[in-house]
Amino acid sequence: MAALDDISTQRRDPPDGEEDKSLQDLLNAEGKNIKSLVCQRCQCKVLRPNLGQHVQKELFLPHMKKKSEQQGAMDGETLKEFWVVDDMYTFENVGFTNTVNDIKYLICADCEVGPIGWHDLSKKKEFYIALDRVHHI
Amino acid sequence: MMNEDEVLTTLKILIIGESGVGKSSLLLRFTDDTFDPEQPATIGVDFKVKTLSVEGNTTKLAIWDTAGQERFRTLTPSYYRGAQGVILVYDVSNRKSFQKLDMWLNELETFSTKSDIVKMLVGNKIDMDKREVDRQEGLKFARKHAMLFIEASAKTKEGVQVAFEELVEKVIQTPGLWENDSRGGMSLNDRGNQSVSQGCGGYCSLL
Repeated sequence: MAALDDISTQRRDPPDGEEDKSLQDLLNAEGKNIKSLVCQRCQCKVLRPNLGQHVQKELFLPHMKKKSEQQGAMDGETLKEFWVVDDMYTFENVGFTNTVNDIKYLICADCEVGPIGWHDLSKKKEFYIALDRVHHI
Repeated sequence: MMNEDEVLTTLKILIIGESGVGKSSLLLRFTDDTFDPEQPATIGVDFKVKTLSVEGNTTKLAIWDTAGQERFRTLTPSYYRGAQGVILVYDVSNRKSFQKLDMWLNELETFSTKSDIVKMLVGNKIDMDKREVDRQEGLKFARKHAMLFIEASAKTKEGVQVAFEELVEKVIQTPGLWENDSRGGMSLNDRGNQSVSQGCGGYCSLL
C-alpha cells in the first residue's frame, strides 16, 4: 500500500524479541493491553500494561510521514484497532497537538512523531492510541 | 512494581518567556530523543503529559508551552490557572530576553491562581558562543525573586532534565500547593484562546 510510511514499514520488520504479534497476543482476558506501548521511533513509553482497553472503532488519522509533495496535510487513513483510556494522566508520556476541527492528535512526547492517536474534545473521557502506530513490547 | 504504579500527584507546569529563547526545545528535550529536523511538525504541539520520578515519588506532569502565542501578547488567564510550577526562560545570548523577565513575572503575578507557585529561572542556550548575560546576573535576579535558577542548553540537553526535577521536587516540598488537588481538574479547553488552531487552517502540514 503506497500510503504506508517508512515507520509503518519498519514496524513490519521489527528487531527480534520485540515483534508485534497478532491481536490476540496483545490482549488479556479483559481486553486490556498485556504489553507496554512504546513509540516506534524512539521507544518512549506511551502506556503501561493493563491500562488501555482494546476497542474497534473507525477513526481517521493523517499519515505519520509525508510521502510526496502532492500529499495534502490531512491525507491519511482510517484505522480500526485502538487502545482507549479515559484520563490523559493514564498515559506514561504523550503529547497533544493544537486543535484541528475539535480534534487533538496524540503524538510521541519525546520525538513528537505522530499522529499515534486521537482525542475529540467533545468526548472528555476518550483518548485513543492506534495499535498500528506504536510498538508493543 | 506497585510503587511504580502509584502516582503521587499530577502537576501543571508552564514554560514562559520571550519568543525565540528556546521554550519549545526545552519541552522537547526533556528526555533522550531522536528528533528529526526534517519532520514538519506544523500542526504544533499544545502540551505534553510526562511521567517523572523524583526521589521515589512518581508525578505526572502536564507541561504547557505558550505555542508562540506570546508573540501576540494573548496569553489568557486560563493559561496560568491552576499551575503549580513555572519555568521562566531567557536566552543568555540575548540580553533583551533577560530584560523582559520583569514583565513576565508581573504577568505571572497577575494571573497565577496559586500564590506559592514554584518558579524556576532558566538561562538557556549556554552552548552559544556569544553570551550577553553572565551567570551571576541570572543568579542574582533569581535570588531577588525567590526563584530556583539553572543554566541550560536544550541543544545539548545539559541542565534540562535537572531543571524539571528540581522544580518538581520543590513543588512536592510545598504541600499546600498540590495536596488537595484532585485529578481531572483541568480541561483541555483551558487555554481559552483557540485561535491558534484555527489560524493553522489550510497551512497545517503533517506531524
